[in-house]
Amino acid sequence: MSLNSIMQIGKSGLSAYRVATEITGENIANVNTPGYSRQRAILETAPQSAINGFSLGTGVSVTGVQRFYDGLLQQQMVTAQTTLGYDSTSSNVLQQIEPTFNEVTTNGLGDAISKFFGSWQDLSLNPTGTAERQAVLTTAQNVVDNFHSISKTLSDTVAAQNSSLTPLTDSINATLNSIAQLNGQIKTTQMTSGNANELKDQRDQLIQDLSKQVGITYTENSDGTTDVNYTDASGTYALVSGSKAGAFSLDKITNPNSYAVQLTAAGSAGPATTVAPTQGALGATLALRDTIIPGYQKQVDLLATTIATKVNAQQTSGADLTGATGIALFDPATSSAATIAINPAVTSTNQIAAAASGSPAMSGDNSNALAMAGLLNDTSTMGGSTFNGYYNTLVSKVGLDVQSSQNTVSRDEAFSNQLSTLRESNSGVSLDEELTNLVTYQRSYQASSKIITTATDMMDTVLGLIS
Amino acid sequence: MRITTNMTANNAIYHLQQNLANLSKLQELSTTQQNINRPSDDPNAAGVLLDIADKLKASDQYNTNISKASTFMQVTSTALTGIAGFITQAKSLVDSISSGTTDQTQRQTVSDQLASLKKQIVDMANTQSADGQYVLGGTASSTPPFNNANNTYAGDSTQVNIEVTQNSTQTMNLTGDRVLQGVGSNPSYGTTDILGTFDNLIAAVSANNVTSIQQGTTALEAGAQQITNAQIDLTARMTRLDSMSKMNTNNQTTLQNMASDIQTVDLAKVGVQLSQQQTAYSAALSATAKISQMSLLDYLP
Repeated sequence: MSLNSIMQIGKSGLSAYRVATEITGENIANVNTPGYSRQRAILETAPQSAINGFSLGTGVSVTGVQRFYDGLLQQQMVTAQTTLGYDSTSSNVLQQIEPTFNEVTTNGLGDAISKFFGSWQDLSLNPTGTAERQAVLTTAQNVVDNFHSISKTLSDTVAAQNSSLTPLTDSINATLNSIAQLNGQIKTTQMTSGNANELKDQRDQLIQDLSKQVGITYTENSDGTTDVNYTDASGTYALVSGSKAGAFSLDKITNPNSYAVQLTAAGSAGPATTVAPTQGALGATLALRDTIIPGYQKQVDLLATTIATKVNAQQTSGADLTGATGIALFDPATSSAATIAINPAVTSTNQIAAAASGSPAMSGDNSNALAMAGLLNDTSTMGGSTFNGYYNTLVSKVGLDVQSSQNTVSRDEAFSNQLSTLRESNSGVSLDEELTNLVTYQRSYQASSKIITTATDMMDTVLGLIS
Repeated sequence: MRITTNMTANNAIYHLQQNLANLSKLQELSTTQQNINRPSDDPNAAGVLLDIADKLKASDQYNTNISKASTFMQVTSTALTGIAGFITQAKSLVDSISSGTTDQTQRQTVSDQLASLKKQIVDMANTQSADGQYVLGGTASSTPPFNNANNTYAGDSTQVNIEVTQNSTQTMNLTGDRVLQGVGSNPSYGTTDILGTFDNLIAAVSANNVTSIQQGTTALEAGAQQITNAQIDLTARMTRLDSMSKMNTNNQTTLQNMASDIQTVDLAKVGVQLSQQQTAYSAALSATAKISQMSLLDYLP
């Protein structure tokens, strides 16, 4: 044991606590960085030496920098993000559609239908009245306008979902590339036995971001890289494999109104395979575009065509004011809510068929108007409901879909909040802790330097003996 | 569990958000005074509300039908009352010469008056409703049903039905042939051709034919009864309309109560909840503000 080794021990303390303080500094600096996991220096006693016949340590050394990280929690967060991504996307869009169906506070299609058949009731009391006949035409136009408005909102929303696929897939591809790049850097850093903790944090954060947009699974490899996979009914594809990234693309040519989503797997030369994502924001966008909104649209279309068919049939079974057989009131070509229109051949109020078939001109007979007004309560064509009943059920259904999506989102948010609390508890930086460490390390650093000064003093004493 | 400052901050943000969301929901309730402002607030109740609203609109429509039909019937009733009055006048006129008279002037006066009364009956029978329909014309309601010259009926015997409540109709008009000519069935008010009776009487009076005059008197009595029968039928219909209208209004009241049970906000309850929520929110704010201020840094040299 020499004075020199005392100096060495002091020096080892100085450098160890310098590193530890540095890490504390890094932690404090990253207290608000998303995805950052706190780190700590692992201190160990330096190898022993047995110079004077008994063994003694040679100070302290930093053997590594540890990252507080829970792999299982990360997996759970990825799953939670995927669910949240799907639910919040569909909830947002459904909430945008809901006002169209908000018959509770505003008068919409349901009111228009009631008024249309009500105008036939009015006509039944004065079958030859021009004002009553005009009212029938006006309320019919009102029904048409309401159908058009609903149909346009729905088809616009479908189109918006379709065009939002472009930025969505672009953003997914950018994330995939970043993950692949980080994988490459992590691998290189680890090969040179460096510390890739920050890079890993960044990559994990990107995987979380990615999982919000598309459902994924991932595996960690021994070289520090992470492989990301995508699975759907058509198979499993590698999105990221080592430092190679796959890419989503859109087939905009086959059907410009409904892009097909395609995937080129990582490392594959192509061609891209068509895939059908069902999870995350991408899955929600596709479900809204292909299933949910078209489902509403189909119901509105059915209502429009049935009303047009039934009213036209009743019109043609009556006689108009000139005594001629009535002609279709709505365009006979009506095949959806978007195409419903007043028959262009109806140009005069005389063409409203209020009287029974075979009645003479200017007849005050109202039996056809009565039959027409009675269609309001007809339950034979809409599966046991009236037209209004069918529409009200649709309004309830939209309301129910919005409500349940909102409930799901708040549940998802509570869950992912809980998970991030757990992650924060394990990996988050606590300023109090770091400040305490800072004080501790600073004192230790001071003590180590004291050892060196003491050794210097001792050295001086020894040298003083000589002179 | 290890707690970090960020955890506290995140939790504070999350829970403040929840608090504020509750508060804004309560605020919406108290400002709109409606429990359901969009279908998703309560999809089932929204469906019920819409059904109720449809039923209310329908019964509004039925009440409109009823009030228009009542007006039409009142016009008809006025016409019938007029006709009955003229027949009574004719009867007393004829009674005055029931045993005949040789006074040519008196016979001339009576026959002139009878002719004038007949003309007034025809005018009454050609009464038009407010919107220009001839009330006794059946469905041929745009041409005058009677003319003074040949007593023919230009209308038809079709009875016009209107809907007074769902799937329930009421005949609105009386047809001139039933009322003045005594033909037709379902309903039949009598068998007297009133205008013909007038013509016969005028001829009998001019000819001083006592037998014919007496026959005419009997026929006038039968005619008066015929009009009375028609009036009774009309009154019965108007009574039915009246009770239908009351029934519809009662139904509306019930439906409106149901809707209001669902839709009207219990203000006292919301007020209490609102103040509870305000207290909770301000407590949360104050706690958050105090706790997030604290740091070890304040105590380190």
